[in-house]
Amino acid sequence: MDVEIQINNSPNANARFLNWSPTRCRIRITNPAGAQGQGQPPIRISARTTANSGSVVFRSGTTGAFAASLQLRVPVNGNWVSFFAAGQFGRPSVSLNDVAIQAKHGNGNQVIGSTPCTVRIRKNANNLTPAERDRFIAAFAQLNNQGLGRFADFRDMHTNVSSPQAHGAPGFLPWHRAYLLDLERELQAIDPSVALHYWRFDQGSPNIFKRDFLGESDNVGTVFFSATNPLQFWKTDGVTGINRRPFFNTNNPTGVRTEAQTLALGTNYTNFRTMEGNPHGSAHTSFGGSISSIGTAARDPLFFLLHCNVDRLWAKWQRNNNRFNPAVAASFDSGAWPIGHNLVDTMWPWNGITGPPRPPTAPGGTMAPSPVVTAPGLSPRVRDSLDFQGKINAAACMGFDYDDVPFS
Amino acid sequence: MTTKKRKAAAKKKSPAKRSPRAAFAVATNEKKSTAERAKAFAEAPLATIASDQSLQASLSVLRDREQPIKVRLAALQSLQAATFSVIEFEPYREDYFATLRELVDDPDAELRQRVLGILAREKDGYVQKRLLEGLQDTSKALVPPEKALQLLSYDVHADAYPVAREIVNAPPNPEAKREALRLLSADANSAPVFEKLMRDKNEDRDIRQISAAALQSVKPKRFQEQARELLLDDKEYDDIQATALTALEQFGDEKAVAKDQKLMDRVDELGKGKSAKVKKTAKRFMTRYGSEK
Repeated sequence: MDVEIQINNSPNANARFLNWSPTRCRIRITNPAGAQGQGQPPIRISARTTANSGSVVFRSGTTGAFAASLQLRVPVNGNWVSFFAAGQFGRPSVSLNDVAIQAKHGNGNQVIGSTPCTVRIRKNANNLTPAERDRFIAAFAQLNNQGLGRFADFRDMHTNVSSPQAHGAPGFLPWHRAYLLDLERELQAIDPSVALHYWRFDQGSPNIFKRDFLGESDNVGTVFFSATNPLQFWKTDGVTGINRRPFFNTNNPTGVRTEAQTLALGTNYTNFRTMEGNPHGSAHTSFGGSISSIGTAARDPLFFLLHCNVDRLWAKWQRNNNRFNPAVAASFDSGAWPIGHNLVDTMWPWNGITGPPRPPTAPGGTMAPSPVVTAPGLSPRVRDSLDFQGKINAAACMGFDYDDVPFS
Repeated sequence: MTTKKRKAAAKKKSPAKRSPRAAFAVATNEKKSTAERAKAFAEAPLATIASDQSLQASLSVLRDREQPIKVRLAALQSLQAATFSVIEFEPYREDYFATLRELVDDPDAELRQRVLGILAREKDGYVQKRLLEGLQDTSKALVPPEKALQLLSYDVHADAYPVAREIVNAPPNPEAKREALRLLSADANSAPVFEKLMRDKNEDRDIRQISAAALQSVKPKRFQEQARELLLDDKEYDDIQATALTALEQFGDEKAVAKDQKLMDRVDELGKGKSAKVKKTAKRFMTRYGSEK
């Protein structure tokens, strides 16, 4: 007997990515040899893993607990049977297709079908394996392509002119969530194994500030890279290189709110979003160089790891306080805010709207599409950023997760 | 609870639990220790722009040369963090930047450098003029030449190129030469300089590396030819060869590289050599172009 397993109900290899949220999958018998007369033979689904690989768990419907294996009855007539798969929390992938969903007949050991997949999760950048780190920086370097690549659009989205769209009001966190997702999808178009990882600015991160990763700064604030690091060719605004000078010990940062302090800012979004000042602003200005000014911050790739941590804190706060539903008042700061900061507003630049009160140009076009999920759409609204795991509405799942923020 | 107990409880309260207003009161209180004030400024950046009065108090600390420098730097860092809350900061923006312009001649070198950095990133014409003047006449220099060049590179104008070229030819120190090359990296006319420095085995490695990156950026075809020569040279340094391989692997012209059998054979050989960094890049190169593809 042979079976076919599809992840995200798609035959497309680019759709074989999981995170902690449940993903629709399906299985069908393609060769019923050996199962004739059984009608709906029992098939056991499980994950094929190795010691350090990602791992997957399963359930048959939209609710209930996940388990390491799942028994299904699959008809011999070739009809599909649905099930749900999710990355096993704590077991993200370390490389592309390092785990597979496999099927066995009944209690037998013979694998009758298998589909490789990746549990693609945003991780603490300080803890990446050398191979993960190298793929991550290579994707960034290629996106930049010595100043000639698509990265220029992302640099142009975050400037002094455009900053009121994204800062100083409730849309700060939703806008940056969309911005990071757009960039992450572009990185994944270069290397699908890559996720956008985060810099824990309240913890020592010695591995990040090394020549093999985001570089080592000298007293002038020039960042140095190893000869094997493609970021040595990083170029923005016509100038090669990165300027960044830490005002703190990168092994032991002080002066920014810790994660615990940030999560304790309050259970209402109105209170929580004051984190825009500290730790967010404080993390930016814990350096000299590009990253410490709003108009130049996006010239430094570290900016995206810093903001990924800001977004992780929001995700964690959302989970702690169940603040995924835009209809719940405490999930957002509703009021008469400037355009781009209200739940119903579309977000620039993905909406393509230019001219006052929006900026004069809208670089980059619509949100990069994903082969895995449809949310938040090509022109997301502020409200589309809240339910990122699809807890309220499965279709709202944005296709990313953090290594320390589970689904349930 | 008695007043005494309440006071004791308040004393035990973590600093993070105090209100931004309370933190700001400590930050601006000259009777408090330097460490307490600096920490309080760092704690609540948005408190510096809670009102016009708060802003003026913060700017006053920043301007005051009698204040401990640690407190002044903390005030600057906190105000700069508040600039990220653009909408809330907007009413205070003009005052803030006017104050920073007053500080470009501050006697404290660290404060001066940070202020110049903030203004240079805002493309402040006055600061650009002062930095350029300092490069042309060292008696007017606000910061060392390498820092001035770096700050000018936030808004590259062709009028900075002549002085950068002069510094490349007669550098006051290696750092200044490096920063001058970086500033020139957008200037296609400087390609011959990049090429010469990239190939010069007597040059500092950092200079060769930045020259290679600059040449790759302005004349990629020429860079590819030069990188090939570097790789074929068995007396070339490992790190320069690794840089050349990294560039070709990441950004090379796939068609031209893949049909260059002599280069492919050489990279294959380098992949079996002793240098870990060359081996690593050679392996990546062969994965993209060669038999390991």
